[in-house]
Amino acid sequence: MTTTLPAPATRVRPQTLTRAVHSEWIKTRSLRSTWVGMAAVAVVMIGFGAIASAVSTGSVQPPGPGGSDGGGPFGGGGPLSTVLTGSTFAVLLIGVLGSLAGAREYGSRMITASVVSVPRRWQVVVAKAVALSAAVIPTALIAVLGSYAAGTAILSANDAPTASLTDDDVLTTLFGMVGYITAIALIGLGLGILLRSVAGSIGAVVGGILILPNIAGALLPDSWDTILRFLPSSAASAFTAVAAAGDSKLGAAAGVAVLAIWVAAAVVAAVVSLSRRDV
Amino acid sequence: MIELRHLTKTYGTKVAVDGITATIRPGVVTGFLGPNGAGKSTTMRMIVGLDRPTSGTALVNGHPYATSRAPLAEVGALLDAKAVDSGRSARNHLLALGATVGIGRRRVDEVLAQVGLSEVAHKAAGSFSLGMGQRLGIAAALLADPAVLLLDEPVNGLDLDGIQWIRDLLTELAGEGRTVLLSSHLMSEMQLVADHLLVIGQGRILADSSIADFIEESPGGNAVVVVSPDAGRLAALLAGDGISLTTREPGRFEVRGTTSAAIGDLAAEHGLRVHELTPVTASLESAYLELTRDSVEYTATVPTHELAA
Ligand SMILES: Nc1ncnc2c1ncn2[C@@H]1O[C@H](COP(=O)(O)OP(=O)(O)O)[C@@H](O)[C@H]1O
Ligand SMILES: [Mg+2]
Repeated sequence: MTTTLPAPATRVRPQTLTRAVHSEWIKTRSLRSTWVGMAAVAVVMIGFGAIASAVSTGSVQPPGPGGSDGGGPFGGGGPLSTVLTGSTFAVLLIGVLGSLAGAREYGSRMITASVVSVPRRWQVVVAKAVALSAAVIPTALIAVLGSYAAGTAILSANDAPTASLTDDDVLTTLFGMVGYITAIALIGLGLGILLRSVAGSIGAVVGGILILPNIAGALLPDSWDTILRFLPSSAASAFTAVAAAGDSKLGAAAGVAVLAIWVAAAVVAAVVSLSRRDV
Repeated sequence: MIELRHLTKTYGTKVAVDGITATIRPGVVTGFLGPNGAGKSTTMRMIVGLDRPTSGTALVNGHPYATSRAPLAEVGALLDAKAVDSGRSARNHLLALGATVGIGRRRVDEVLAQVGLSEVAHKAAGSFSLGMGQRLGIAAALLADPAVLLLDEPVNGLDLDGIQWIRDLLTELAGEGRTVLLSSHLMSEMQLVADHLLVIGQGRILADSSIADFIEESPGGNAVVVVSPDAGRLAALLAGDGISLTTREPGRFEVRGTTSAAIGDLAAEHGLRVHELTPVTASLESAYLELTRDSVEYTATVPTHELAA
């Protein structure tokens, strides 16, 4: 123990959004759970894709003329939906990780240190969103492209039909899936900050992505379909072909726009909540 | 410098802080003293903008904390030592906070050494003892070399060595011209380190004075014990404005509101015998207890017959 004060005055710079992002990135990368979680997303996505490819080589259908290759998990679909089978699980997992990223500082009360160091609170939310994206986007790229590469290799080794990167909509689907995974992470983050509870926000994300579309689709009359296709998962199916829990009637561009609005709504709700409420 | 103006915070119907006006000056350690639930933490949380005042303002160096250009360099706050992410190392915790004002590794390692945590810098903060957690909190508060320090019950969980260390550190920081506000519910923790006292009870300021004046001004303040065979006549001469007399046994009474010199002179003037004339200085602790007990009695709804008993 020492009580010597440092002689030179510390050089301090203004607090800016860039520095807030740097701070959140240090937080993100210095938690083991970030890397375990991101590795889990990639492993789940690639693993399920590889398994699905291996077990369904006989039933894979060549892509149709429109590029749609439909089908469900574990077979019955085209090569692209088969190799991306893991996306359902990867999206759920990333939703959980996003919720954790948003809510965990409320559990530890670290949020008080965060808003004391960055009192313009909207910057805390934006910085967290940027830092999370910095971890999720590379992960999603590895997971999606890895699934495609591994699954396609397995299919082609078994002489099953494969989807080529130059085929219609294949690149759109792959990058659309990366965008969808990132979007769900950010929606989870927003809900985590809004609800201030890990359990609550995980419930909201999982319920909203997986359970609500299926239950609502089954229980509500057909007239509700117009509304249901604006749910995040349905909107995403407009540009990821295989992501949907139910069919979408939105076009690809409209699907991107709808999903972007969901992300913006979650982030804005988080900003408003964090700025208005006592921490 | 911290300026509080009519600062008020209510939670539902509960008034936690009730119109506090005070100025906390640089260069001295100000002790923020009050029983549990008095509103100390709420006041400190409002100073750094964690809680929004219901009314009134809190200014740091002349402006609201939220408008600081480099917030951590303006105020270093230790409000809750447990408010760290348990999975992150102490060093990364400080690196993340420091990054908001461009502070890097060198300064982080410097404060870690200053608080004696260099050896556990890479350990997860969740594995820290309460005392180590307090040290990490103090490191975070000192990180950007702030002009104002807020410490909410920092002594909790520290051993005797650690308490002495904090006292020396705070005295040194105030000596460098910083504003130091330190809260506690125990007078014993304050009297060795604080120069100035801000006493709060039920959300209101009960006293705002130097330690020395505090005893004088408190209702249980200085007294003089007089033993005299002529007690009755002396007491009659003394009785008057601002002077209170209490008698416990014949020939012996306590006087408040005047000095032993004045009593002695008065007795000599009238040729009265005095066998004993003893100034009694109330301890800070008893002065504090009396002050805050009054505030509780004042606001509590106790039937008058019980108060009289
Ligand atoms: N978030 C809150 N919601 C409701 N009541 C609160 C809240 N925070 C503090 N209080 C109440 O306000 C009063 C003052 O609390 P606090 O500032 O923590 O006192 P101290 O720090 O002096 O012990 C207490 O009665 C406490 O119960
Ligand atoms: Mg308190």
